[in-house]
Amino acid sequence: MNRARNEKPILRRSSRRPLWQSAMLYAIVIFWCFIVLFPFYWLATTSLKRPIDVSRGPRYIPYHDFQPIPDHWQEMFGTQRESTVRHFRNSLISAAGSTVLSLVIGAMAGYGLSRFRYYWGRLGWDNDNIAFWIISQRFLPPAIFIVPFVLLYNTFQLIDTYGGLILAYTMFNVPFAVWIMRDFFNGLPIDLEESARVDGANRWQAFLRIVLPLSAPGLVAVAIFSFIFAWNEYLFALMLSNFNAITMPVLIAGQNNTRGIEWWFISALTLMAVVPVIIIGLLLERFITRGLTAGAVKG
Amino acid sequence: MSNAREDKLMKRVFLGPAVILLLALSIFPLLWSLGISFTDMQRGGSTIARQAAAEGITEGVGFLGLGFELTGRNYERLLGDGRLHSTVRNTVFYVFFGVMIQYVIGLGLATVLNQPFRGRNIVRVIFLMPMMMTPVAAAYTGRMFFDSNPLRSPLAHFFRQFSKAIGLEQAISIPWFTDTGWAPVAILIIDAWQWIPFMTLILLAGMQAIPDDIYEAARVDGANALQIFMRVTLPILLPISMTVILIRGLEIFKIIDVVVVTTGGGPGSATESLTLYIFEQALSNGNYGYASAIAYILLVLVIIFSTLFLMAGRRLARGRVS
Repeated sequence: MNRARNEKPILRRSSRRPLWQSAMLYAIVIFWCFIVLFPFYWLATTSLKRPIDVSRGPRYIPYHDFQPIPDHWQEMFGTQRESTVRHFRNSLISAAGSTVLSLVIGAMAGYGLSRFRYYWGRLGWDNDNIAFWIISQRFLPPAIFIVPFVLLYNTFQLIDTYGGLILAYTMFNVPFAVWIMRDFFNGLPIDLEESARVDGANRWQAFLRIVLPLSAPGLVAVAIFSFIFAWNEYLFALMLSNFNAITMPVLIAGQNNTRGIEWWFISALTLMAVVPVIIIGLLLERFITRGLTAGAVKG
Repeated sequence: MSNAREDKLMKRVFLGPAVILLLALSIFPLLWSLGISFTDMQRGGSTIARQAAAEGITEGVGFLGLGFELTGRNYERLLGDGRLHSTVRNTVFYVFFGVMIQYVIGLGLATVLNQPFRGRNIVRVIFLMPMMMTPVAAAYTGRMFFDSNPLRSPLAHFFRQFSKAIGLEQAISIPWFTDTGWAPVAILIIDAWQWIPFMTLILLAGMQAIPDDIYEAARVDGANALQIFMRVTLPILLPISMTVILIRGLEIFKIIDVVVVTTGGGPGSATESLTLYIFEQALSNGNYGYASAIAYILLVLVIIFSTLFLMAGRRLARGRVS
């Protein structure tokens, strides 16, 4: 929608813009692209450098001032293969698991809050209050959960399990999922469900067969956010895992003390953790924008 | 089943799982840690339980025989804890300046992206990239850049070449992570690099929602570009600005990963954040009671911050209308 509106005035406006303004615009754009991209470039080149080129550098351009070597990547998938694969799998399982759970729970609650009227008599809360309560949980400082979660997880033997991480991440992701989905359902016309119900479908069937397929963009947005949050999360992964369930961020952060800082290896590992998420994110960029602006722009 | 009865049931089925999850994993832990903050609980038993165990007593120890005693000592201890005070100061520093830098630069970039130019869609996507990077990874990357050795860090190398070029005798060299003044700044920059895209993205969406005729009207009235920005764009963006500032502010209150990876809280405790300190009290020292008390202070700080902010926002909005 935004894109369509902005396409029209492009020619008109840019032809009206003085040259110096265009020059400044491009200068800022290029400068900021450099600020954003150079760290990624540096990670990529560092992962291909010999240790001596890292400590006696800085070397910028492969083949020109240093000879790139694949050794660190080979190490990561060779001698370190077991560790790399295990941690990557842990990240994948806990992120995917909590994404699925958040989607299910979030879509259901979002739909409920959008289509039914709730009133919690004792608190005097209606739908808006409940929605606000749910989203407010997302902004509680996680530090307050450290002690109770450690005690709770010890009691239920959830420490160092996928189930434990999935549960914790779902708790953090659900509020945002409810918020986005509610906003999305509010924008869906109710007629379609109603005609389905006239045709004999019950609420649940109408939700599954009519509403959910129509809300794919909202679901994709929720899925991306939940996945990226869980994939990148550090504090709870560190706190609730000690060997079996350790995820990529904890593995990367731990490179500090194990063998001294091997920048070349850390860079390879970092790219391994970061690149898949960035590719997914960039491919689905329009859903991210839509999801993020769902609550913020209107509210 | 009748429609009304079915609806009454379905109502609960839809909202139920989310409410149960939040009650079990958010509200219950919240109340529990408030309780813990008033006890002397520690990992492996409280002081009083250990004393009793040493004397051979295992049952009926402490408050209601639960094995710990009720005490307000944790909250007394807060007042005299110098390290806590410096972590509060650091956290407030990160939140205040972090939000400010990120908002100003984010607003600038959003303004730029709101202009039509060739390649804008690709540029917008590129601008988003830092946001998706694992914070731990961003922190490691930051460490490579803020290394003060010009043989290792491209940034230090740039400073050295730059000093040479303008003819300085002593090359500019910033002791990023070793100086108590610079270390928090380095962390601020890493967090800003990562989260400016968030500000840009939302402010840009807000700018694109402003209808063109408002700008046209202002232009007809003879306003110049700066006046339009100050008198039209900014006031319209005020509600969104409040939202993103609040969201980012609350997020920065939670900062821990960047600090752990870059400085580990040092030098001294110059960069230590509240979350990191709570984590260390709870998991390294095993002081469950004290850690919970500090966590509650953090919660109170967060609530005060949000309330003041929302109140100020409302006042600003009202001033704009009248």
